[in-house]
Amino acid sequence: MSLLKDLVKQQRQKLMILTIISVMLAATIVVQAYLIVQIIYEIFLNNATFHSILPHLGFLAFVMLLRTLTNHINGRIGIQMTTQAKRVFRVKILDHLSKQPLERSTQGQSGKKVSMILDVVEEVDGYFSQYLPKNIQALTIPLVLLIVIFTQNVTSGLIILITAPFIPLFMALIGIKTKKKSEEQLNELSAFSGQFLDSLKGLTTLKLFGRAENEVGKIEASSIRFREATMGVLAVAFTSSFMMELISMLSVGLIALELSLGLIIFENIAFTTAFFILLLAPEFFVALKDLSSAFHTGRESMTAAKKIEEVLAEPTEQITWGNQSIESLPPSITLEEVSFYYDEDHPTLQNLNATIEANSHVAIVGKSGAGKTTLLNIFTRMLPVHTGQLFISGTPQNQLNEDEWFKHVSYITQHPYIFAGTIYDNIAMGKNRHVTKEEVMQAAKWSGLTDLILSLEEGIDTLVGEGGRGLSGGEKQRLALARAFIKKPSLILFDEPTTGLDLKTEQTLKQSINELAKNATMITVAHRLHTIKQADQILLLDQGQLLAKGTHEELLKKEPTYRELVGVNQKTGGMRHE
Amino acid sequence: MNDFSGIMKQLMKEKRDVILTIILGFIAGIAAVGLFAASGYLLSQAALGVPIYALTIVIALVKLLGFTRAITRYGERYFSHRATFTMLSHIRVTFFKNLLKRSPATMHRFRSGDLLSRIVADVESLQNFFLRIFYPPIVLALIFLSTILFTMFFSVWIAILLVVGMILSMTVLPAFFAARQRQIDQNIHKQRSDLSEQVTEYLFGFRDLKVHQQLIKQEEQFKRANDQYVEAQGFNQQQDLTSQTLDGLIGLLIAWLVLAVGGYLISTDQLNGVFLAMFMLITLTVFENTGAMSVFPQYWEDNKQAAARIFSKEDQSNQSSHNLINLSETPIEISFENVRFIYPNEPRLALQDLNLLIKPGSKTAIVGASGSGKSTILQLILALEQAKSGAVQINGHPIEAINPESIWKQTNTVLQESHFFHGTIRENLLPLRELSENQLAEALLQAGLEGFSLDDPVYEAGANLSGGEKQRLAIARALLRKANLWLLDEPTSSLDGITSKQVMDSIFTAAEFNTLIYVSHNLKGLEDMDQIIVLDRGQIVESGTYSELINQRGHFYQLKQIEKDTLT
Repeated sequence: MSLLKDLVKQQRQKLMILTIISVMLAATIVVQAYLIVQIIYEIFLNNATFHSILPHLGFLAFVMLLRTLTNHINGRIGIQMTTQAKRVFRVKILDHLSKQPLERSTQGQSGKKVSMILDVVEEVDGYFSQYLPKNIQALTIPLVLLIVIFTQNVTSGLIILITAPFIPLFMALIGIKTKKKSEEQLNELSAFSGQFLDSLKGLTTLKLFGRAENEVGKIEASSIRFREATMGVLAVAFTSSFMMELISMLSVGLIALELSLGLIIFENIAFTTAFFILLLAPEFFVALKDLSSAFHTGRESMTAAKKIEEVLAEPTEQITWGNQSIESLPPSITLEEVSFYYDEDHPTLQNLNATIEANSHVAIVGKSGAGKTTLLNIFTRMLPVHTGQLFISGTPQNQLNEDEWFKHVSYITQHPYIFAGTIYDNIAMGKNRHVTKEEVMQAAKWSGLTDLILSLEEGIDTLVGEGGRGLSGGEKQRLALARAFIKKPSLILFDEPTTGLDLKTEQTLKQSINELAKNATMITVAHRLHTIKQADQILLLDQGQLLAKGTHEELLKKEPTYRELVGVNQKTGGMRHE
Repeated sequence: MNDFSGIMKQLMKEKRDVILTIILGFIAGIAAVGLFAASGYLLSQAALGVPIYALTIVIALVKLLGFTRAITRYGERYFSHRATFTMLSHIRVTFFKNLLKRSPATMHRFRSGDLLSRIVADVESLQNFFLRIFYPPIVLALIFLSTILFTMFFSVWIAILLVVGMILSMTVLPAFFAARQRQIDQNIHKQRSDLSEQVTEYLFGFRDLKVHQQLIKQEEQFKRANDQYVEAQGFNQQQDLTSQTLDGLIGLLIAWLVLAVGGYLISTDQLNGVFLAMFMLITLTVFENTGAMSVFPQYWEDNKQAAARIFSKEDQSNQSSHNLINLSETPIEISFENVRFIYPNEPRLALQDLNLLIKPGSKTAIVGASGSGKSTILQLILALEQAKSGAVQINGHPIEAINPESIWKQTNTVLQESHFFHGTIRENLLPLRELSENQLAEALLQAGLEGFSLDDPVYEAGANLSGGEKQRLAIARALLRKANLWLLDEPTSSLDGITSKQVMDSIFTAAEFNTLIYVSHNLKGLEDMDQIIVLDRGQIVESGTYSELINQRGHFYQLKQIEKDTLT
């Protein structure tokens, strides 16, 4: 719970104000009751004139306003705290995620993380807007009221002091007895509610298989089971409020009995005292009741906070940068004993040594899982080097300036992300300065997007990405290429597509990538034989190790694994063809 | 209440629980009022000095009322929640039934996007309808009216004050805030989707943003969206708070007026002083219940919109099935003539002037890149989508004239992503006819699922199965049905080459005399197909047998070259 506590600590000043306000609130409750009693006493037993109670009435109106106002301010502070908390938590989580090793922050589960930032943070709300203010109120108001009651009549105070602890006691008893059970039931509940969604999602399948009518009965049955389980959990909550109500009623009843006996039989209590206490006693229990409902919200919030803490506890790893610029462009790259691992016993990449000449074209090949993409991400400096050293044109990687580096790098992935915005925006983002429409159109031409743009009514200003027009996989790929044309990079990292592209994209990629790479160093994770054959150097990866390097001919001669990798493929393809 | 007629209909099926809730809620509320009235009266009488037996009776009454209140409150809660959850069950069933009645195309489209989770959440949110919108005002009004009636016996003026208070807190205040709530809700919704977009772009586009040095800009956009969202929410919470504050203030104001007016009446001898404490306590107690009205506006607005979405009347095109032709059980022939199709909100045609003929019992492959329109053809054949123009015909009948149920009955479909249900493997095989254990097990075997038993569990949406296992289970499901038409949409894309070949062989054996359409983006194993159709951006660029297409050295040949050039 340290996350919530830290934030509470930062807002200590607000806590102070909340406490002061709660004391004020208690004071207004006491004074309000006192004035009401006085007014009734004067009118009822003292036969006072209406005129003579006017000052009291005026003062009462003032106290009532004050009570309303303090209550309101109390709520306002809760809202301020919760607003601040949600704001800070979101920024913290996003910041943390951006510092995680690349693979972890992008691969899979991104949807889960979006919902963490949006919804889980939302659940923290109750802690600050309800639990905290009510908690402080429940600690101060009953205490103040109890002290006041004690000063008026010790017996009444004692009755409260003896009966009130039964409330937390019963709640704890019920809580302990049912906590585990209700947790189990709550798990079941979420499963039930998922089933309706399941049926809706499967509607087409059900229809195609002629089973839709059947499902109606299933929905009904699971809905009723859902109801029974929910009622089971709720019955516990209702029982505890029942006990609470009963105890407070009994307690107030006892006080009333004691007061009237004192008033009539023993005649040791005045009407004003009795009435005053009778007004205050229920207020005492109201504050306790508020606490118990706030407690429930508080617990939900704490579970949410725990989830956030877990995310924040995941390891982060930052890539270190320096302030040097690249010595010469296009860059040469040297790997010296480079290793990378997610867990130390199973390194993803192990002791790689290689030199990539400036302006040369290198292909990385290997079976899936060999570490090709990880190596590409190391070259891009998206992942850190754990041991060993990477030199860019002779400069150790951690001494380079980040902006300077990315200014010269283009990374074309298999699944480029298209941002919500126009086609122009998406292409122009390649450059960190203003780009003219002509430049963008030129880049689009080189990447074979002209036809597409001309076919759209709004042309280059058509909205794409989330909420915009859908683009096919091939079009996305070409759009990423256009980004690179705008950037004119000195280092190109290219994850060659495996399958599923249209002929046009295939042809465009083949021609344009070479055009783009004329004045650049290019490293490709290669899946096409022609790309591999054209490469100046091939790096053959196998289980995280560099098995061999050389040209296509060299590797064919000396490396059986390489022959297998490219040969098997050729043979089957060739056989089919004939 | 017009917006809520649909949900009222479902609620009224639980009349007994509804009535019990209202009665018990009323008793609980009035018992509290009675309790405090009695104690106020008791105290005042005690001050005047009364015989002890009278006091004992009143004290016993107070105890009894206290106990009654606690018990009836429990009952009120119990019955109100039971009514609510039964009502939700009715709503789910009704919604599902209505969905079944809709045209297949709308049904199919409904599946997409997060529309479904939205609906599920909407249904959940309707639990507030009875609990916070429907019965609290009724109970509150009953309590108010009885209290007012009671006070009328003693003083008309005090009764009038209570009436004024009731009108203020039950109508004026909620109406005022309900009017403002809609705009607030819309704003919050807008800010939330804006924030969601910024977070999604940041996380999903992280790599591209980083390389293109846009990360900081995106982070600033996120922070701005975050600020706007929490502030919009804060504003909403402040509105609620203000509504609650004003509600409390009305109660205190009326209590103050009761005291002042009562004091005046007593000092001028128009009222007996012994009742003043009672009136004061009654007023304070009765207004304690109005808190339910101050949260009313937010639930009202929220539920109105949820109910509108769930019970929307639009597009319930109850197509009458009796005029439709039922397909007879013969081999199926399909033809497309100048078919055009476009998805909603897309600028480009998904299919352009498509012509094709699929002969009875023939085997056709449709190949092309992703997004070229392959799956769309299958959806048109299944009547899940409707052509924009042109004619789709099955066995010579226009598809609009055919009962879609009869198409589905004769078709074995394996879509790219099949849906699986929470249950067992057996249940997910969805056998229509009674099938023996052996037949079911044999189907699993043929689909390459030999490691599975029929009683193995399947989680929601098949979450415990891998992509390949799901595909094989979908195939097993199809193998168990007799059908004249097979529609396969990349059924083995997640399987390795050897398993894929084995499973496809099972399918081809089962479908020997049936019409079969096989959509694929990989070009292996098409040598024996009667016809290969090559699609590119919604158009047929080539068609013919494997050897014809290879000899033509056209589009298909080039795609094949690329495939051969690709390492697997």
